[in-house]
Amino acid sequence: MSAAEAEKLEFFENKVRPLLVEFCYSCHSAEAEAKGKLKAGLRMDSLKGLRKGGDSGPAVTPGDPAKSLIVEAVNYRNEDMAMPPKKKLDDAQIQILTEWVQMGAPWPGSDAAVAGPHGSEPYDWEKFRTGHWAFQPIVKSAPPEVKDAAWVKSDIDRFVLAKLEAAALKPNVSAERHLVIRRAYLDITGLPPTPEQVAAFLVDESPEAFAKVVDSLLASAHYGERWGRHWLDVARYSDGHGGFGDDRALPNAWRYRDWVVAAFNADMPYDQFVLRQIAGDALKENPDPVATGFFVVGPTYKDDGGDPEAKAVFEAETLSDRVDTFSRAFLGLTAACARCHDHKFDPITIKDYYAIAGVFRNTRQKEHPVSPQAEVEAFEAAQAAIRDQDKRVKDFVNAAAKRLEKKPNQVEAVLEEEPKRELSALRMRLDELKKSAPPPFETAHCLQEAGSADMPVALRGDLRKPGEMVKRRFLEIIAGKEPPPFTEGSGRLELARSVAAPNNPLTARVIVNRVWGWHFGEPLARTPSNFGMLGEKPTHPELLDWLAADFIEHGWSLKRLHRQILLSSTWQMSSRFDEEKFTKDGDNRLLWRMNPRKLEAESWRDSLLAVTGELERNTGGPSTDAIWNSKRRTLYIKISRAGDVFESDAFLRLFDLPSPAATSEKRVTTTVPQQYLFMMNSAFMKARAEALGNWMRELPGELSQKLHTAYQRLYSRTAEPSEIDLGAQWLGTNPEPERWHRYAQVLLSAHELIQIQ
Amino acid sequence: MKFLQHELAYRLATQRQLSRREALFKMGAGIGAIGLASMFGSNAVAAEQVSPLAPKLPHFAPKAKRLIQLFMPGGPSQVDTFDYKPMLAKHKGERPGIVDRKTLRNTKMGLMPSPFGFKQYGQCGKWVSDIFPEVAKCVDDITFVHSMHTDIPEHAGGILMTNLGALQPNRPSLGSWLTYGLGAETKNLPGFIAMSPRALPRGKFANWGNAFLPGAYAGAYVNIHEMKPEAVIKDLKNAGLSSAQQREQLDLLAKINQMQLARLEQDQNLEAGIQAMEMAFRMQASVPEVFDVSKESEETRKLYGDSEFAKGCLIARRLVEEGVRVVQLSHSIDGYDIAWDTGHGDIVGGHATLAKACDQGIAALLMDLKGRGLLDETLVVWGGEFGRAPTSEGDKGRDHDHYGYTVWMAGGGVKRGFSYGSTDEFGCSAVENRVHVHDMNATILHLMGLNHEKLTYRYSGRDYRLTDVHGHVVHDIIA
Repeated sequence: MSAAEAEKLEFFENKVRPLLVEFCYSCHSAEAEAKGKLKAGLRMDSLKGLRKGGDSGPAVTPGDPAKSLIVEAVNYRNEDMAMPPKKKLDDAQIQILTEWVQMGAPWPGSDAAVAGPHGSEPYDWEKFRTGHWAFQPIVKSAPPEVKDAAWVKSDIDRFVLAKLEAAALKPNVSAERHLVIRRAYLDITGLPPTPEQVAAFLVDESPEAFAKVVDSLLASAHYGERWGRHWLDVARYSDGHGGFGDDRALPNAWRYRDWVVAAFNADMPYDQFVLRQIAGDALKENPDPVATGFFVVGPTYKDDGGDPEAKAVFEAETLSDRVDTFSRAFLGLTAACARCHDHKFDPITIKDYYAIAGVFRNTRQKEHPVSPQAEVEAFEAAQAAIRDQDKRVKDFVNAAAKRLEKKPNQVEAVLEEEPKRELSALRMRLDELKKSAPPPFETAHCLQEAGSADMPVALRGDLRKPGEMVKRRFLEIIAGKEPPPFTEGSGRLELARSVAAPNNPLTARVIVNRVWGWHFGEPLARTPSNFGMLGEKPTHPELLDWLAADFIEHGWSLKRLHRQILLSSTWQMSSRFDEEKFTKDGDNRLLWRMNPRKLEAESWRDSLLAVTGELERNTGGPSTDAIWNSKRRTLYIKISRAGDVFESDAFLRLFDLPSPAATSEKRVTTTVPQQYLFMMNSAFMKARAEALGNWMRELPGELSQKLHTAYQRLYSRTAEPSEIDLGAQWLGTNPEPERWHRYAQVLLSAHELIQIQ
Repeated sequence: MKFLQHELAYRLATQRQLSRREALFKMGAGIGAIGLASMFGSNAVAAEQVSPLAPKLPHFAPKAKRLIQLFMPGGPSQVDTFDYKPMLAKHKGERPGIVDRKTLRNTKMGLMPSPFGFKQYGQCGKWVSDIFPEVAKCVDDITFVHSMHTDIPEHAGGILMTNLGALQPNRPSLGSWLTYGLGAETKNLPGFIAMSPRALPRGKFANWGNAFLPGAYAGAYVNIHEMKPEAVIKDLKNAGLSSAQQREQLDLLAKINQMQLARLEQDQNLEAGIQAMEMAFRMQASVPEVFDVSKESEETRKLYGDSEFAKGCLIARRLVEEGVRVVQLSHSIDGYDIAWDTGHGDIVGGHATLAKACDQGIAALLMDLKGRGLLDETLVVWGGEFGRAPTSEGDKGRDHDHYGYTVWMAGGGVKRGFSYGSTDEFGCSAVENRVHVHDMNATILHLMGLNHEKLTYRYSGRDYRLTDVHGHVVHDIIA
């Protein structure tokens, strides 16, 4: 669809449809027809109806207001056909309807069929498949020739440099080596390097020096912690507590988080990563239910009882979350837009929506045991024994009650000696069983199959207004006309396979683009969760395709992709400002430099703990809400969906953690005064400053030597003489511990610590 | 005087940005420094650091410059407050067709007359319930919209619908949209402040959330029961350092950051950081001051009275005087997050108590704003997320009713002593000149000088707006 067409449809949606709904539908719509209130046999809720017209003939002739009865009627030209009957529309409203007819009566979705060139189809599918970049097959074209071959370290560089040369721009030189290694550490692990790690790299003159660093970083467990967190943004991960009918806790959400981290660390092929998160429980071999936590960590809305309207709304909202997260995360498509009507801009029909929603409607949440089978069995056996014994006690009391003609709660007082002893023995046995029962086994929040029913289209998104039944199946734009219906259970496994198929044009492109964005601050296509018509086209489409094809060819390996990117000249470029280049390409769409950016909340807090020597590096396990006392990585801190439950929420939101109410495609960076209030006044910063200040004070050597050592540790570089002078002057001679602390707080608050250069 | 200074600063700032904004409007784009950055790349913003909260020019001349929302979560009953329905007494216990609706909750009982008396007030002769005697004295400054309706009769969704124009919590709030569109006239305070005594309305922070808009547009919340100004903003106070000591420390930080900036030549985040640090320093003094009502005259404090809600009203006036763009003050007593829902079991007890707790404060706010010449440009909006049915629930309560309810507005360009739209003769459903929440939100934006169809933000490839694809400005209530 062209931008002009989209604009016309928007005009229709914003201006025309509201008029039709408000003034015409009560007598001229499907609803009016159903109620027997249809007037003049005219339906005005579809273009087809308008063109067919009513008793007086066609109401609309696209492009010709003079031949359109609708225009005549609203102008009150004909006394018998003055519409709307109660009150004439105002001039502006009449103008809107006239203009709309004039522009050819654009009508979105399935009704466009009547006016459009594509027969009975809602979209011109072929045009989308061949015309829109994201739906075309991935093509691996040869990396282009470039003039400055010396700059090229990898094929990636050829694609980037060719574009720069075409625009007469030169790429920035490589960043200084200490910055390159710092950048690599922050990028891959989210933690700064130690001075020793920097020094070892600086003296290593072998050509493989940097590759060795990259390999060791990718092998580190901290890699999964950093990159797993990126994925958790997409997965709208939280530990529950959403409010709004979604206020349950998700105490085991961390098991899914740990699954993600482990998957990254193990370099699980991405197609498997996808398959397991959608349908890991349904796999016949090596089922992996914990992975399906992807869906369960999202909002599940429950109404507060009372009215059917709210109940329907909340079920619809929950299904919408599943379809939205599924389609944006894995496919870069906004399928949830087709919940009430065919997608206005992309080839996604309302039937597509309910074909996918139907899959999730046949799925329910389950607490899946993760403890060893023996523990589960022992627990269940013990609980069964408790239940049995409990029943024995009750049966005994009831029998006695019957015999003594008393109520069960009166039996005790009048029971004879012998039965009393018997009852007491039974109860003692019950207590023993309870005491000796093993603790409950541990569980993860997972999905489970719950049926195989198709669902109807919900008219205008309202589940109480069922329309046509839709078979569960994949999206038509990818699977082709009349996609085969899913037949196994809910259809989740088939849905997952459709996404992870190598010939799916979206899946590999979407993840490769995301990974690029997480390395560079901006992805190649800058709307990574929307590859549709309103998304941004990639700045380097050939490069994106080349990377995606190469990715699939090499087993969907993310670690290989990271290595490929980090070893390129493109990634190693300096982020330095350059007035001339900036004037030409201020947005850096051609990649003449590395984007300068700020660390995410997690990496900044982790860095603070790392440079003060306090960071606890153990991995995995339950989340904690003790953000101020915990010295663990921020990944392990609790996040509520509502953002107002835990102490940690306020900190994370202040430093731009995206709201986990919906899948997030990229982080927005803000700079607000409250962040500086945190640096200036928070107990957390004060504690870090004390730790760093004490460490500095106890360092060996002169004051200037101490400052040099601190700069190495904080910023991975040598301090300049002016910086040493400034520090020495501020500290004065023989500074008190408290002065050291305050100085340390300044060093920790410096921008250099929160930026990736 | 302070106010005039803000005015001047506002006009200067808007003039400065005028040419760029004009260019934007011609291209039909969204507004705001952020929209600007995404349109032109960083080029446009790099030359001049624009704080996200700097005042911005509206789409057209505004009637109101600031908004105070008096939010009544839980659903106040229209027929027991401002929508007088004498027919209820005549048809007591009956079940006319209009209340016999499947989706209306718990209406199996018959019509229940209001337990409160009604009297006529003002030159406009408005009938007002006896539980709002003070607000009743202000009716000649108020437009009552009796024909409100919304999508859902449930608190969580209804409250979000009112504040976000959406049933999902992942959309920006009205206040965030307004500060995104207009910035604020204060350099020392957040542009959007939300307050409540004790409980936050259900949905909590999502009610003032920025969602995908930049964080600077989020509402900052203060609990006026605790009344710790430092709680408005976390970490506002330093536990150990004097202001002079802190200044010394910040001067050092500024120098270190400047040295880094010199090395980099240019860095947008760093430049913004240097500015933000200075504003943070100023806020430490300005925030406690604005929340300190002891600075007010005895007379003023007497006018408002001693209730917690009244204190909130007085602070709201001080905040808008300082240039805060949007203040939302929610009602709550006894820590109940949907206070007016006490109407379920007992209209007499629940509603009378709630009205008493806010009546004087609201009236005082209107009179005080008027006395200071602020009411003309300050829009005050009172209302809940829906109303209550004219039938009874149990013996003396009422269940939710989203088909018709009342919201009133004062100042900021709306008519005075005016009533718009109506419910049926029993007060159940809006029948004449119906106003949906989207229409109300579109109208509020319009009064503030913004076109609700043009105030957009592109997120994940789609242009979002407060009113989604809905909303019509209700021109008939504009003066």
